[in-house]
Amino acid sequence: MDFQLTEEQTLLQQSAREFAATYCEPIAAEIDKTGRYPAETIEQLAKHDFMGMPYPEEYGGAGADYLSYTLAVEEISKVCASTGIIYSAHCSLGLWPIYKWGSEDLKKKYLVPLCKGEKLGAFALTEPGAGTDAASGTCTAILMNNEYVLNGTKCFITNGGLADVYIIFALTDPSKGIKGLSAFVVEKGLVGFEIGKHEDKMGIRGSQTTELIFKDCHVAKENLIGEEGKGFKYAMQTLDGGRVGVAAQAIGIAQGALDAAVKFAKERVQFGKPIATKQAIQWMLADMETQIQAARLLVYNAAAAKDRGESFSKEAAMAKLFAAETADYVCTKAIQVHGGYGYIKDFKVERCYRDAKICSLYEGTSEVQRMVISGALLR
Amino acid sequence: MDIVACYKWVLDEQDIKIVPGSLLLDTSRAKGKISDYDKNVIEEAVLQAEKDDTVTVTALTFGNAKAKQSLKDALSRGPVKGYWVNDAAADIADGFVTANVLTAALKKIGAYDLILFGEGSSDAYGQQVGPRVAALLGIPVVTFVTKLEISEGKVMAARKIGDCTEDVTVNLPAVITLLPEVCKPRIPGLKQVLGASKKPVQEFKLADLDLVAENTLPKNKIKSIQGYAMDRKNEIYTDGTVDEKVNTLIASLTKEGLL
Repeated sequence: MDFQLTEEQTLLQQSAREFAATYCEPIAAEIDKTGRYPAETIEQLAKHDFMGMPYPEEYGGAGADYLSYTLAVEEISKVCASTGIIYSAHCSLGLWPIYKWGSEDLKKKYLVPLCKGEKLGAFALTEPGAGTDAASGTCTAILMNNEYVLNGTKCFITNGGLADVYIIFALTDPSKGIKGLSAFVVEKGLVGFEIGKHEDKMGIRGSQTTELIFKDCHVAKENLIGEEGKGFKYAMQTLDGGRVGVAAQAIGIAQGALDAAVKFAKERVQFGKPIATKQAIQWMLADMETQIQAARLLVYNAAAAKDRGESFSKEAAMAKLFAAETADYVCTKAIQVHGGYGYIKDFKVERCYRDAKICSLYEGTSEVQRMVISGALLR
Repeated sequence: MDIVACYKWVLDEQDIKIVPGSLLLDTSRAKGKISDYDKNVIEEAVLQAEKDDTVTVTALTFGNAKAKQSLKDALSRGPVKGYWVNDAAADIADGFVTANVLTAALKKIGAYDLILFGEGSSDAYGQQVGPRVAALLGIPVVTFVTKLEISEGKVMAARKIGDCTEDVTVNLPAVITLLPEVCKPRIPGLKQVLGASKKPVQEFKLADLDLVAENTLPKNKIKSIQGYAMDRKNEIYTDGTVDEKVNTLIASLTKEGLL
C-alpha cells in the first residue's frame, strides 16, 4: 500500500498552495468581516483551470483526478474556508449531476461553460421543511405543454444569487414521494425564479447562502437531468462526492488552525520561554496533528475510491464525519493554545473556529453521516 | 528563434534551519525549488514567445538527480522542452564548472539565439554563470537587465545600474542576465501543470558533453558555511519618563559604539 501522492498530484497540490497564498489568503479576513463574495478570486480560479478541475478536457475541465481536486479544496480552505466552499459547491455539486447523468446537449450547453468558469454552479435540494429528511421536500415540477413548471422554495443554497446555473430537485409526481423526485438544470434569470433571503452566517461569511423561490417558473423539458423519478438517487450520489469536498475543506481549516497555533506557540513567551516548550501546549499540538492526519487519510481514501470508480458512499460519510469533527476539535484547541488572543478577531484561529462549525452541518449533518455509515453496516 | 531559459534547482531557504547552539546549517529537511529569480527568467522567455510565435522557448538546468523534480515545474511554466544535465558534480560545482557544463550543453543542443539567466541564484548569488557562458561561447552579454525587446536579430535591453538605466542593443546570439523586476512569474494553470508531463525532456550526463576533466573541477573551495544569527540583548527600559528612557537608550547605543 502506497501512501505517497503521485508526482502529478504533488505538483497540482503545490499549484493550489501557491494559488491560495497569492489570491485567497490576502483577502480571507476581509471577506469574512464584510461578507463580500470574492468575485476576483473566482475569476482567477477560472483562469487557472480550477473550476472544472476533475472533469474531462473535452468538456472544458482540467482532466485531473478527484484526489487532486480534493487536495486543491484542502489547500484553498487552509487559508480561506469561504473560497473553499464556493469552489467545492460549484465543482462537486453544481457540475457532477450534469456530467454524470445529463444529456450531451446539456453538457455542451452548461457543463462546458461551468468547467471553464465562465459560469458558476449551485445545487439546491434542501427546503425549509426538508433538511436531514431530504425526502420530504414539497417543491414541484409539473410537465405542461412540453415545459416543466416549478413551484416551491429552496433554502440554505450556497452560491445562491451568484450562480448562473442551478441543479434543482423537485417532484415531478408528488404522489410517488421520493420516487417522484427529479433533477433539473435551471438558469438564473428565468421568469418566476427569484432569490429570497440572504442568510447572515456565523462562518464562511465570504460565501453567499440564499433562498431560491420558484413561482410558476417554466423550465424547458430538455433541462431534465437523466430520467424523471431518479432525482433522489442522483442527489444522494452527488452528495457522496460533495462530502469528500467538504471533508477536504474541514482538514484544510484544521490544518490552517494548527499551523497558526504552532507559530503562535513558538513566538509567545510566558515564564521567560516560548509556550511551545511547555508540555501542556506540546500535548495539545500533538493531539491536533494526530487527529488531522487520521482525518486526512480517511479523506484521501474516499477520494481515491471515487477515482477507482468504486462505491464510496460509506467512505465519504466517514471522511466527512471524522474530518468535520476534527476541524471542530482542532480549532477549539488552536484557540486554547492562543489563550485570550485566540478570542480576538485579529487572530486567524477565531475565524477558523467559526468556519469549522459548518462542516458538521452542511451536505448532511454528522448525524446523517452516521446514518449512512450504519446503514451500510447493517445492510 | 530559440530562447534558452536557464535555471538552477536550489534548496528552499525557508526550510534551512540553523542548528541551535552553533552556526551550522541544517539542510536535512530542506525541499528543493527553482531558484526565485529563475522563475522570472522562464516567465520572461515565455512572454517573448507569446508576443511572437516564431519564438521557441526551452529550459536548461544542471543539477543532481533530485533536480528531476524541477523539470515538470519548469515545463508547466511554458517552455516546450527541457534539457537536464544530470550529474552529482552539480553539488560542488562553482560558477566556473557550471558555466563550462552549460556551455557544453548549449553547444550540444545547438539551437540558441538568446540565452537567459537570472542575475544570480537564490542560494549562492555568485553572478558568475551568465557572463562566463557568454565568454565561452564568444557572444555578447548584457547584465542587470530589467526590460528587453527582441527585433530583427537584435535585442534591446535596459540595464539597471546604480541609480541610472543604460539602454543597450546587441546582436543575437547573446546572453542576458535578468533582474527579478523584469516580470512577475505567473502561477501555472492546472492544464499547464498536467500538460507538462507530456513535454519532452532530454537528459545529458557530464560524460556526454565532451568536457575536459579540468573544466569540471571547481576552482573555489568552500571551507565552511555558517548561518547568520542576530543576537538580541532584549533590554527594555521601564524606569523613568520618556525623556529619561530616550537618554538611557542613547547612552547605551553610544556605549556599544553604534552611534
